[in-house]
Amino acid sequence: MRYIPTIGIECHVQLCTKTKLFSEVDNDARGKEPNSCVSPVDYALPGMLPRLNGTAVKFAILAGRAMNCEINAYSRFDRKHYFYPDSPKGYQITQFYQPIIGAGYVELPSGNKIRIEHAHLEGDAGKLTHFDNYSLVDLNRVDTPLIEIVSMPDIHSAKEAHDYCKELWRLMCYAGVTNGDLYNGNMRFDVNTSLAPEGSKTLGTRTEIKNLNSFRSVERAAEYEIARQTKVLEAGEKVIQQTLGWSDATGKTSPQRSKEVAADYRYMPEPDLPPIRLSSEFIEAESAKLPLMPNNYRALFHEIIKPDTLEVLLDYPELMHKLNEINKEYVKSISNLFTSVLLAEEKSAEYLNDLPAAKDLEELAEMNAKKELSSTAAKEVFLRLFDPQMKGRGAKTIAKELGLIQENDLGALEEIVDAVLAKPETQKAQDDFRNGEEKVIGFLVGQVMKESHGKANPSAVQEILRKKLA
Amino acid sequence: MKIANKKVTAERLVKDALEKAKHFADYNIFTFLDEEGAIKRAREIDEKIARGEDVGRLAGVPYALKDNFLSENGETTASAHILEGFKSPVTATAVEKLEAEGAIMIGRTNLDAFAHGSSTENSYYGPTLNAFDKGRVAGGSSGGSAVAVALDIVEFATGTDTGGSIRQPASFNGIYGFKPTYGTVSRYGVVAMASSLDCIGFFTKTPEDMNLLMEVASGQDPKDMTTLPDFYNADATKKNSATRIGVIKDFDNEAVDANIREALKAKCKILKEKGFEIVELDMPTLKYALAAYYIIQPAEVASNLSRHDGVRYGFRSDDSSNLENLYENTRNEGFMSENKRRIMIGNFVLSSGFYDAYFLKAAKARTLIVKEYEEAFKKCDYILTPVSPNLAFKLGEKVNDPVAMYLEDLMSVSLNLAGVPGLAIPAGMSGEGLPVGLQIVGPRRSDRQLIEFAKELA
Amino acid sequence: MDIKREDIVHLADLSNFSLSDAEIGNLSKNLQDIIKYISQLDELNTDSVEPTYQVFEMENVWRDDEIVEQEANREALLTLTKEEKDNQIKVPKVL
Repeated sequence: MRYIPTIGIECHVQLCTKTKLFSEVDNDARGKEPNSCVSPVDYALPGMLPRLNGTAVKFAILAGRAMNCEINAYSRFDRKHYFYPDSPKGYQITQFYQPIIGAGYVELPSGNKIRIEHAHLEGDAGKLTHFDNYSLVDLNRVDTPLIEIVSMPDIHSAKEAHDYCKELWRLMCYAGVTNGDLYNGNMRFDVNTSLAPEGSKTLGTRTEIKNLNSFRSVERAAEYEIARQTKVLEAGEKVIQQTLGWSDATGKTSPQRSKEVAADYRYMPEPDLPPIRLSSEFIEAESAKLPLMPNNYRALFHEIIKPDTLEVLLDYPELMHKLNEINKEYVKSISNLFTSVLLAEEKSAEYLNDLPAAKDLEELAEMNAKKELSSTAAKEVFLRLFDPQMKGRGAKTIAKELGLIQENDLGALEEIVDAVLAKPETQKAQDDFRNGEEKVIGFLVGQVMKESHGKANPSAVQEILRKKLA
Repeated sequence: MKIANKKVTAERLVKDALEKAKHFADYNIFTFLDEEGAIKRAREIDEKIARGEDVGRLAGVPYALKDNFLSENGETTASAHILEGFKSPVTATAVEKLEAEGAIMIGRTNLDAFAHGSSTENSYYGPTLNAFDKGRVAGGSSGGSAVAVALDIVEFATGTDTGGSIRQPASFNGIYGFKPTYGTVSRYGVVAMASSLDCIGFFTKTPEDMNLLMEVASGQDPKDMTTLPDFYNADATKKNSATRIGVIKDFDNEAVDANIREALKAKCKILKEKGFEIVELDMPTLKYALAAYYIIQPAEVASNLSRHDGVRYGFRSDDSSNLENLYENTRNEGFMSENKRRIMIGNFVLSSGFYDAYFLKAAKARTLIVKEYEEAFKKCDYILTPVSPNLAFKLGEKVNDPVAMYLEDLMSVSLNLAGVPGLAIPAGMSGEGLPVGLQIVGPRRSDRQLIEFAKELA
Repeated sequence: MDIKREDIVHLADLSNFSLSDAEIGNLSKNLQDIIKYISQLDELNTDSVEPTYQVFEMENVWRDDEIVEQEANREALLTLTKEEKDNQIKVPKVL
């Protein structure tokens, strides 16, 4: 029997607001000491009340719209109760009954649409570090704003799970609501997998793999889980509904703490925060702040940039926005420079934060088109455009200063060629060429290039040489 | 309440208050007396007066702070074992406002632990005794604050009112106790009981003092997102113009102590003589208020008390060898029986399978109660009703019967459910020499006019 | 409804109380009485009534996203805990 996997994914996105969801302390605890970003509210002293961050509400609108979701006119917060030292209040403030983001969908590069059930705002939990006989509690991450995005079970392969997570990551980065730093846990995925016989109308028993923090882990874990469940079913056994953890090191899922009774979170409307009621004008005004999204760029550039290259470039929203500023006829050559120079050398992170001006890139592309630069020289100038010392001077000036302009003046080139052909050490090569030894032309071109100090355009030189030696 | 005449120093007032507090020690009013701190603050006020500086509207006035208000003076325990040793690094907004006007806190007053109770018998520190009869309860939960004012130890005291915790002890001790419109005074820094019901208010000896305190304490607080923009002071020129006073038919029955019914009739007679119209109100949903309250309130209590776990502050059980022990033993040893009952009821009404039948049902009943008050206030300007069905009862009389204790709140909780203001007023004495109290209820945001109206009945 | 011993044990578990047998006995009776009392709400017709969770008419109350110095810093907060290590709260191990 063939089994069809069905996957639904819950994704937690940490928002890049300046302050936390419910207090005015620094939301970016990267590299900071434990408990240094904690307010009395986060510490849950008695009598402390949550103070809602308006930017988180606005970010929720952007995130929702990025996923083609309805933004609910009326939403409010609820408390989800559980005892653990990572939850100082003894409950998490979330949106269980009336979330801010309603139904929508994410369209994958394949064209498949994964429906979004809803998404909501909530606070993150703190962090525990376990030692042999004790644990230490750091509350820096408490109430970092999160958006939890709940997909419908529309995913049917590990690869598609990967693609969905990646597209979600792109959407959130484009919307500007997260730093998208997966290494630091800015996005975390819970993958729900079940298998059902082909043609079956009901879904099988599902397992939930918790807390995956890379697209590759999502794909590998889903792959593993599909294979594991297939084996279980083929052996005539039943899949147990449970929560699993994933280890990148072993490449396996394993059951996490299994409470016999499902947790009862006793959701209760949050009495300390008034509800949110958003007018359509407000929602539209906020949504208008969304930039062009990956799908817009796919539509704009699909004829100019090869799909594979485009998918790579799409990982960098700033780069795409820059390409969009550039005259269309130059997009191809500039995108090639980005691909071959920056992304190939993994310099992206430091370079992409501060891109050159569109007009500098256009100038470079124009020189390229006129063959005023060799391909090596073009890369050289391109890199200099990022150099804080040189940027802003313009591609042409930089090329000139570095003496990288190619000699395209045919008259001047002929003079150099003649001078080279007059040299005694080239006579043998000239004879060989005339006798049909094609490849010595390379030697002669090289001699001319040397004579021109590398500024000659090699193809023009070859053309002249062939004419003269004919 | 002012000492502007300079005939008496703040230091003298504070020392007198402290002396009286010690004199009445057997009433078990205070959980903490801040002798040193209070005298120091009083001297600072006196120095300011001597220098001719502005010292505020409450300069040098000694007051008592219910022990569920966070302040850096002394431990904030909410009379609960689980908060033992908790010295707050932050101060409640209400306390800041009072002290900015020069009021001087001489001590913290006893309450039912976490304000769970109607007698102050549920305190970790033992019961507070009634100001008029030491064999009887002070009422609760703000029992200590009420008795501190009734025995004239301080000029005023703070209180919190979730279902009657200001009004009932005020009426048991013959003073004024005010529960404002929900959201009038910031809850920031006050140990939460049931957040959608909790109101901060005061005990005073006159409506005038109450008005002054409300002027000081009201207003929107960025630290409490459920505070209203300051309507109290904005209303300063809006005079009370009430002409019609409502009385609730249902409450005139045998279940209500005869002294209270008599007092109500007497007050109505006075009002009629003054030209007010008395309107009989039919409010059939009010009898369900207590049931709705004892669902919503414990649910929020259970939730709000989740943070008391021995991890970050307060008491931690000695038997904490692993995390599970730490939680279970700290909470088991740290909470009083009544706390536990409410937490468990709260968890029951919120638990899966019971939420719709209890919590959601109560939230719907709440809507009907809100509407019933709105309808009532179309027919009258204020309502005059009993605060509780009886006078101060004997110590120990109800401690083992939670439902009997809950019935104390029968006539007070509907105001909290509806968010409307209520002022407990003294209304004479019973034959046994116990104070009789009544309450005036008004529509939301009528607080200032309501207090003004109380002068008619003074 | 009838409150059974296992219901009390379950509620104690949700509440994180290690109740003694005597307490379980007392609470069974108390909770039974209370639940009986609150169940009188069943008499009230609430069909097509919307619930009220707050009696506060304002909406959209939120603050600016700016860092503000807090009234208590890390030291002031951590001093409140029974055990601290390396600027973190120390708790016994999780079973």
